[in-house]
Amino acid sequence: MSPFQGIEQYEARTEDYQLLPFRFILLDHDRYVLTNLAGEYLIAARKTVLDLLQHRLSRTDPAYCDLRARHFLMDRSSSIAPTLLSLKVRTRYHRLAEFTGLHLFVVTLRCEHACPYCQVSRQSEDTLRYDMSTETASAALDLVFRSPSTSIKIEIQGGEPLLNFGLIQLIVREAEARNERFGKKLAFVIATNLALINEEILTFCRDHSIVISTSLDGPKDLHNASRPRPGGDSYERTIAGIRLARQFLGSDQVSALMTTTEASLSRVRGIIDEYVAQGFSGIFLRPLSPYGFAIKTRSYRAYDTERWLDFYKQGVDYIVELNRQGLDFAEYYASTILKKMLTSEDPGYVDLMSPAGIGIGAVVYNYDGSVYASDESRMLAEMGKEQFKLGHVLMHRYEEIFSSPNLLDPLEESFAYSAPMCHDCAFEPYCGADPVFHYALYGDYLGRKPESAFCQRNMETFRYLIQKMESDLFVKQLFTKWANR
Amino acid sequence: MKEMDESAKRLAVTFDSNVYSLMAIKKAAYKALRAFSADITMQGELIHCQLTFSSPVSEEEAGRLVEDFKKEVLDQDLRERLQSETEAVRNVILAHAFSKTKLVNDEPLSRD
Amino acid sequence: MLKLHGQLPIVNASRGAPYLVTVTTHDQLPPDQKRTRALLMKPRFDPTGFKTILVKKNESPRERTEGDVFELSADYEYLDEGDILRLDPVAGSMRCLYRRNSIHNTILLTEQCNHYCLMCSQPPKDVDDSWLMDEAMELIGLIPPETEALGFSGGEPTLRGDRFIQLLQLTKDRLPRTAIDVLSNGRAFKDLTFAAKCAGVKHPDLLIGIPIYSDDPVRHDYVVQSRGAFDETIEGILNLKAVNQRVEIRVVIHRQTVDRLVQTCEFLARNLLFVDHVALMGLEITGFTRPNLDLLWVDPYDYRDVLSESVKLLNAYGMTASIYNHQLCTLNSDVRGNYRKSISDWKNEYLDVCAPCTKRDECGGFFSSSKLYKHSAHIKAFP
Repeated sequence: MSPFQGIEQYEARTEDYQLLPFRFILLDHDRYVLTNLAGEYLIAARKTVLDLLQHRLSRTDPAYCDLRARHFLMDRSSSIAPTLLSLKVRTRYHRLAEFTGLHLFVVTLRCEHACPYCQVSRQSEDTLRYDMSTETASAALDLVFRSPSTSIKIEIQGGEPLLNFGLIQLIVREAEARNERFGKKLAFVIATNLALINEEILTFCRDHSIVISTSLDGPKDLHNASRPRPGGDSYERTIAGIRLARQFLGSDQVSALMTTTEASLSRVRGIIDEYVAQGFSGIFLRPLSPYGFAIKTRSYRAYDTERWLDFYKQGVDYIVELNRQGLDFAEYYASTILKKMLTSEDPGYVDLMSPAGIGIGAVVYNYDGSVYASDESRMLAEMGKEQFKLGHVLMHRYEEIFSSPNLLDPLEESFAYSAPMCHDCAFEPYCGADPVFHYALYGDYLGRKPESAFCQRNMETFRYLIQKMESDLFVKQLFTKWANR
Repeated sequence: MKEMDESAKRLAVTFDSNVYSLMAIKKAAYKALRAFSADITMQGELIHCQLTFSSPVSEEEAGRLVEDFKKEVLDQDLRERLQSETEAVRNVILAHAFSKTKLVNDEPLSRD
Repeated sequence: MLKLHGQLPIVNASRGAPYLVTVTTHDQLPPDQKRTRALLMKPRFDPTGFKTILVKKNESPRERTEGDVFELSADYEYLDEGDILRLDPVAGSMRCLYRRNSIHNTILLTEQCNHYCLMCSQPPKDVDDSWLMDEAMELIGLIPPETEALGFSGGEPTLRGDRFIQLLQLTKDRLPRTAIDVLSNGRAFKDLTFAAKCAGVKHPDLLIGIPIYSDDPVRHDYVVQSRGAFDETIEGILNLKAVNQRVEIRVVIHRQTVDRLVQTCEFLARNLLFVDHVALMGLEITGFTRPNLDLLWVDPYDYRDVLSESVKLLNAYGMTASIYNHQLCTLNSDVRGNYRKSISDWKNEYLDVCAPCTKRDECGGFFSSSKLYKHSAHIKAFP
């Protein structure tokens, strides 16, 4: 008789099993998405889910093994699941305590463009009272270094920030000097339209490892139409600026962002082709946010969630095909979501965080010294709603700003796990609380999710990404790569 | 259940107090201030709301406003329950988020 | 395959206990060194003063010496300066415990084990072999400090408890520049105190290699033939990482583990992302593998796509993964970056069909046991 025992000897002695915490939601037709406590997903047929819930699922069911191994159920053969789940949950939330890592400085409101969707409510170029003062910048830096985060990213914005280049230099030098004491990982980004870029500026960027982020809305006609500038040559200047910046800084230090407008919605392939042609290794297909000029000029109403979803899916489909043909090109919004789906890492993307990313993830120091809980909070203020203003750099201390009810109340009230529908939603680990969006559109930090464009858009996007991964191994592997960028 | 008043300026809506909390109804009524004012009374186990519209409305519009009011009551009721049910988890996570800022006290969650 | 142990005809020996001795090819040594050396005899060498003399057949020294004289057959021609042997002057048995020319030597600490793996290459023996630990400690004292790497294996080394920790400490003290890898099922480390003791040694270059055979706890327990193994192994790994020890996960690929190989790698990526290395290993046809061949054998060529998918996944998650004990012609080209030319140098061989292969130098070849008993049916030379 063999001294070795068959596998049945290692199964649990009884067939009963315990359900571990999970949520489920319909994916399509007959399939459900299940997500466990750590946000890992699994697809199951409706019958399987029903059997599982009613404790009728047989050990010989092909899904049983996966459900056990991936921590959806637990039986007497192993009890390590809770330990591993709690480790994964801790990892997911780990980054929260780093607190504010992204600090945006609006160094001027002046800009020489006139983009209709601009949330910045540009002021014309020659008015100096829309520049941030050195006193304000210095006080803002005091606040920056009060953050416990071990990495700090300072993003310089505007208007067009290069119009106040002198202050940028001061901020960078001053931040580096102060960081001698703190030893944090310090990074700088300048978000600029590049129309005013020159060698002096680029030399400074190179010397201080500053990354350039610019706007490229798509092919020339699309870009120039949505970004009017005296001379009508925004595209040409942007392309020339990108080339020059790459020469000085290296390609990986120059990135571009597109803004989605009504005109973009039918041109997604052309926009992607433009990014490929310009040698970028990816694109961020952004939703349009309903702030600033966008609402004033009715450009927000010009499109709706459905149309954006079409645009987005077409875009990702196209990018997947490009990859299949051998081009290494990523979509960054999907990458952000995929990181939440396929890893326990937090991408720190402000719009998809719960607790919300306001304050905890990012903070904005406006040209006039006002402190806002996020970029969108500031845009809302430009529209006259100061709901998310936290204080003023010269009048309030760090403690007052970060204990402001304008921060704490929305954080508490928008907490997704406490929200009706979100609480039970299988996609909650991938989603976020966006109190600013909901306040802007619905007058309330939480909104009613069944009616929320944020919810509708996100759910559809999650379903789309999961369906694509599950039906095509190439896509699953590509998405896994993107998730780990 | 709603009943239309003759002048078409008032409607009554009733809620079962075993199902909905009074606070939820008051919050929903507050949100709808601009559309109508609500007289809220208890009638046995029923919460009776007499809604008076601020400006003349068609029957259709009134119907829509009342439907929205009912949705809001449900929403507020659920919010209330979930907020209290998930308070401990929420506090732990928010405390963790603020843990290194020195803005939170290191007090245990349980009270004497 | 090198013959590392066997019976040596005794020409002349004292009747003492077995002892360790270092081989030398130099006869002109100071007296106190000679007393601990085994001289590989050559014509005109002076064997006086040596503890042991190793002679070829019919070449015994003319004068009688005080040292033990053993006869070496042609099988032992590999023996060289610096090799360390255990010799039994009564039984005549010899075991080569350390070879200076080998890039990696493994020391057996015990044959006792609390597992009974279906494919165990060192089948457990339930005997008191604590003398192996004593010998290991003595051996550490003899091994030269320039040795780059050393392995500790068994059985299950951690069954020796605190003595195992002592051995680690001794190794750190005597061989501070030697990288150590320990093969263990990791279960003893579920006791955090024990894990902390291991960490307390503060060894500068220690790696603990721990097998996980499936994401399915039942399947893992089955392969190692021990209920509850999966849970305790995982606990051990978590504890080791909690005290900052380096951990490698080893997965042996055979018919009982290949079906869930991709899921197993996904499990590692989602739950044990922080381990230092993942080793995906081919089957060695020795020990228990032979009686269990029906259960275990699968042609690696047939699982090459599953292996590719698994490796791609680990790479995508940024985990360091290596493939050992496979032949290049059985694998897809997309895993070449993870392929290691392994198989210990005393075991590896090639087939006749490998003679014209252009990739022979990059390929680890076969275990001698594989060549003899079972190997892929798809071995083909690269043109």
